[in-house]
Amino acid sequence: MLLERSDQLAALAQALAEARDRSRGTLALVAGEAGVGKTALVRELARAEEPQARVLWGTCDALFTPAPLAPLIDVAEQVGGSLAELVEREARPYHVVAELVEELRAQAPTILVLEDVHWADEATLDVLRLLGRKLEGVPALAIATYRDDELDRTHPLRIVLGGLGSGADVLRIELRPLSPEAVARLAEPHGVDAKELHRRTAGNPFYVTEALAGGEGEIPPTVREAVLARAARLSPEATSVLEAVAVVPPRAELWLLERLAGDTADHLDECLASGMLSAEAHTVGFRHELARLALEDHVPPARRRDLNRAAVAALAEPPSGAPDLARLAHHAEAAGDGAAVLEYAAGAGERAASLAAHREAAAQFARALRHADGAPTSERAALLERRSYECYLTDQVEDAVEARRAALELWRTAGDTLREGDSHRWLSRLYWFLGRNAEAEGSAAEAVRLLEPLPPGPELAMAYSNMAQLRMLAEETEAAVEWGRRAIELAESLGARDVLIHALNNVGTAEGKVDAAVGYEKLERSLELALEADLEEHVVRAYTNLSSTALTEHRWETCESYADEGIAYATERDLDSWRLYMLGTRAVAALEQGRWDEAADTAGEVVRSGKAAAIHRAPSLVVLGHVRARRGDPEAWLVLEEALALVQPIGELQRLAPVAVARAEAALLEGRPELVGEETEAAYRLALDRGSDFEIGELAWLRRQAGIDEAVPEGLANPYALMFAGDWKGAFDAWTELGCPYHAARALGCSDDEEDLRRALAELQRLGARPAAAQVSRRLRARGARGVQRGPRPSTRSNPGGLTDREVEVLLLVSEGLTNAEIAGRLFLSEKTVGHHVSAILRKLEVRTRGEASAEAVRLGIPSQDR
Amino acid sequence: MPRYLVERTFPDGLEIPINDEGVAACLDVVGKNALEGVTWMHSYVRPDKKMTFCIYDGPDPESIRKAASRNGLPVEGITEVRVLDPYFYA
Repeated sequence: MLLERSDQLAALAQALAEARDRSRGTLALVAGEAGVGKTALVRELARAEEPQARVLWGTCDALFTPAPLAPLIDVAEQVGGSLAELVEREARPYHVVAELVEELRAQAPTILVLEDVHWADEATLDVLRLLGRKLEGVPALAIATYRDDELDRTHPLRIVLGGLGSGADVLRIELRPLSPEAVARLAEPHGVDAKELHRRTAGNPFYVTEALAGGEGEIPPTVREAVLARAARLSPEATSVLEAVAVVPPRAELWLLERLAGDTADHLDECLASGMLSAEAHTVGFRHELARLALEDHVPPARRRDLNRAAVAALAEPPSGAPDLARLAHHAEAAGDGAAVLEYAAGAGERAASLAAHREAAAQFARALRHADGAPTSERAALLERRSYECYLTDQVEDAVEARRAALELWRTAGDTLREGDSHRWLSRLYWFLGRNAEAEGSAAEAVRLLEPLPPGPELAMAYSNMAQLRMLAEETEAAVEWGRRAIELAESLGARDVLIHALNNVGTAEGKVDAAVGYEKLERSLELALEADLEEHVVRAYTNLSSTALTEHRWETCESYADEGIAYATERDLDSWRLYMLGTRAVAALEQGRWDEAADTAGEVVRSGKAAAIHRAPSLVVLGHVRARRGDPEAWLVLEEALALVQPIGELQRLAPVAVARAEAALLEGRPELVGEETEAAYRLALDRGSDFEIGELAWLRRQAGIDEAVPEGLANPYALMFAGDWKGAFDAWTELGCPYHAARALGCSDDEEDLRRALAELQRLGARPAAAQVSRRLRARGARGVQRGPRPSTRSNPGGLTDREVEVLLLVSEGLTNAEIAGRLFLSEKTVGHHVSAILRKLEVRTRGEASAEAVRLGIPSQDR
Repeated sequence: MPRYLVERTFPDGLEIPINDEGVAACLDVVGKNALEGVTWMHSYVRPDKKMTFCIYDGPDPESIRKAASRNGLPVEGITEVRVLDPYFYA
């Protein structure tokens, strides 16, 4: 009987009933601190529902670096069949999920438990993410438990949890510590001070249970001591079993335990009877991970080392299957056997990379490197390069630079100019990701300088292609195409397919800015070749540049479908860098199409991922800035300041222009036009030199709105040309055609026609664009339009005669005998606008002349100006 | 976490009865807010009940809007605010 858990149990039972009766599967996420009783809750559910429901159980390991798909291997062992075969073959996560769903359909209902997913490896997280989307129509309740207090801002599980959303098929259950009342009920039979117990344990059920189980009614001063005290009551042989189990996270197989504990393994029953260990299938483990940690820490160092050595020896030759390299690396490291760590961790890294668990691969290579001091230079340099690449793929670019620089030093010392040059080329790419463009340019040139004197090879071709990429990114199309041509020629003569793909991508993107059709053709070819050869990085780069090219062309559907395909591809393969970049592209597309909620959600996902490189983070900050400024919400400048700081060192127009546009727009909407000049100066000059007709148009328009008097540039994009020509309806139609409702309404809001203004106002209100809507309704009122909603400012409605504040102002000046031109000068309005005000005043006061209006003003008691 | 003043207008007036129904209505809002990580501190209501000024804690303005739309509540404006305590200066 669990205390204070009946609601949560009922929710899970309800979800299971839905799964059983209506095949409506649910993913339940059970969160809580360590020891709060997540496992106990799920066990209680299983106890109540078995055997009518099948229960499959998989656990994530608390290894320093977890083994890929470990919990799924547990599950596969329980069901056997094709799932077991698939996992045995180390299939990719999406294949595993497809097979798992088949298995769940086969025998209904099933409770699938994935325990402790905060320790899950990347592949398992992918399974969880994919599973969350595929439970519809499946007669199963999947339960994932995790410690929510151990998830920092950038924990990969956080991103998975965010992505699962809060749909009907996701059930989130949070377990809180026990109340003082519940603790008192537990403490009562032991005759201990319940208040004190609650204070020391904060109501954590594990702490409470452990403290109470310490016996003799005595409360140990710390829980650690509670655990140790409990262990101390066992015989020396049983303690030795306990220690052996403690060094094997999270559970030890019986065969392994026999190898570690020898004859004393016979005393396992004593441990089980004490309640400290539990047996499950063919494994034993601590009833609670905290207890294992306490015990492991307590094992004397020499004995701990011996146990880990024995574990290495045993795991190197398991009774069945292939050795688990990740576990071997863990135990070798704990045993202080550097040479073994180097071997196993490097192997585990390669295996993780082949499973597309790139983050784990990066961690395993880092572990190998920690023990590689005595290894030959070439081996160390190769490990550094492997680590750098895996870090690069997973958006840990700073770490990628560090590893690549170290590799470069080693090659230089060894006199290997080819590898040294190639390392420079890599550094160039990494610096660019970090927004350090000056260094990127320097390294790119250095790579070409070192490689050109050597016999031409793929490294030189790649250095050329890297140059093409930098020129493309700087929008120097001719230079990009020229470097690209050199790269393509050399790559074709060498048959270097990956370089060819890379170069086609760069040239295609560059040419796409001039002639979209030509660009798409090259990019599509690059994508096709990359997919054919299964070159992951080149595939996502092609998707990235295809979606960006479509974005600049306002081809929203094309942009979104490339981005979606690319995001799905990158997500399945752990390629965070490009996933984040394409999410940003999608956010921009949603913003332009007026889908601001979606834009902010998507951009928020990128920004919250916390560690995105500058290149990925800036576009999403810009989107958030636009959304906030256009809605009149606070903190637009917060994100736009960060965006500016990120893009300034990059210096590329494609990064600077969006930030300048967003900042200028925010300034105008806030009524601070004086900021626009300086905010847009650098980007505008660069845009005039090499920008697209849309970039130039938007910047020129914002500057014009701010009252900057300068020549209109030639060759603006059509909608801007119409705006500068004062053809507001034409501009509205052109923007509508492009699918940009905010731009359309903004243009129409400049019209002098009341009908146009009302339409613009309705559209802006529909979009939730409060500041722009307020500007348009001010213009409408200024034209004397009636019935214009002016928002919650009750005082303005109480002017006599239904006049607006502005009209009262004008009326007072009319009474002083001023002409329209004089009033216009006094109030900083155009003469035409004053004319509109005067007509409105005459109409509202039902008078025909200015004189009659003055008389009416006196009659109504409209205060004089020196009130 | 930033604090926000959220202005809402209710053209027909906002009526929350002081009974179980009112309790349930408020707790429902609190529950849905939690899904967005947003906390409703308290509100000031104009005597005609047509406008409210609500103090919220939340991670960002988007969360405030999302919580409002979950609850079907209007948002007139969002302003970031800080506490000023006059007696602090005494």
